[in-house]
Amino acid sequence: MSRVKGTDRLGNGNKSEPSIWIRAITANSEWTDKEEFLDVIYWARQVIGIIVGIAWGLIPLKGFLGLLLFVLVNAGSLYLYFSSFQQVDEEEFGGAWELTKEGFMTSFAGFLVTWIIIYSGLHYD
Amino acid sequence: MWADTVLILFISICTALLGEGKEVKWLTWLMVYRTEKYQKLKAEVEKQSKKLEKRKEAHGDSLDKQQKKKIEREEERLKNNNRDLSLVKMKSMFAIGFAFTALLSMFNSIFDGRIVARLPFVPISWIQGLSHRNLLGDDYTECSFIFLYILCTMSIRQNIQKLLGFAPSRTASKQGGSIFGPPPQQFK
Repeated sequence: MSRVKGTDRLGNGNKSEPSIWIRAITANSEWTDKEEFLDVIYWARQVIGIIVGIAWGLIPLKGFLGLLLFVLVNAGSLYLYFSSFQQVDEEEFGGAWELTKEGFMTSFAGFLVTWIIIYSGLHYD
Repeated sequence: MWADTVLILFISICTALLGEGKEVKWLTWLMVYRTEKYQKLKAEVEKQSKKLEKRKEAHGDSLDKQQKKKIEREEERLKNNNRDLSLVKMKSMFAIGFAFTALLSMFNSIFDGRIVARLPFVPISWIQGLSHRNLLGDDYTECSFIFLYILCTMSIRQNIQKLLGFAPSRTASKQGGSIFGPPPQQFK
């Protein structure tokens, strides 16, 4: 079980290429290291999860609709990101499903936690 | 109620950090890595694998029977030592697991029967047992400690692991990885 150091973290871009942050927000960037792109997807998911959680808590959105909307927003926005903004070849990563799965559960848990906390704090107590 | 909610979030951050952080590393170091047996075993395994590789490289395909036997014997010994090594590591894993179980049951009894949060949705029936654990009444939007704690841990632990670079790489986890957890080099 060997792990290449540096690919697990954000911000450790290759020297000959622009940093991973810049590539993440530039359209059609080149991703020679697949792990890096997966990391970008992963962290984008976490951020979206928390932002959506805060938003749903503030509105407040309730019930199954909230969960459903989260799934749609999360999967949809990331799908748009990698298919039309970055235009990566999905097959290189094992299909769109693999990219959609990346970090989804963690992001879902993060979303639930922020949603529940904001909701309980603002609307009960 | 909200104070409890935030407190649980804080608790799960702490336990997640504790699980990954220095404290456990230190404990493992104290219990395992410092011991002479482990050091000896580790050195031997390293030496053996190096030797084996060299020998294989030097001879290539042209091995006679005796040399083949020798290599096989070495490999066998290496395997045995490796097994001993994981056994020693397992000891510490058990100790840590035990400590965490004790901690969790302590929090469980502190928050027993208390509503720690309000869920903005009604959970599906097979989760209600968890989210409504030890709570009275039929209002299933009330949330118990264990449910919130599990959710917090799910989100925080993996993110911390990733942030600190302890998460097993994707290729490694795809191949199944090791049942004894993270690779030893991270314990330095």
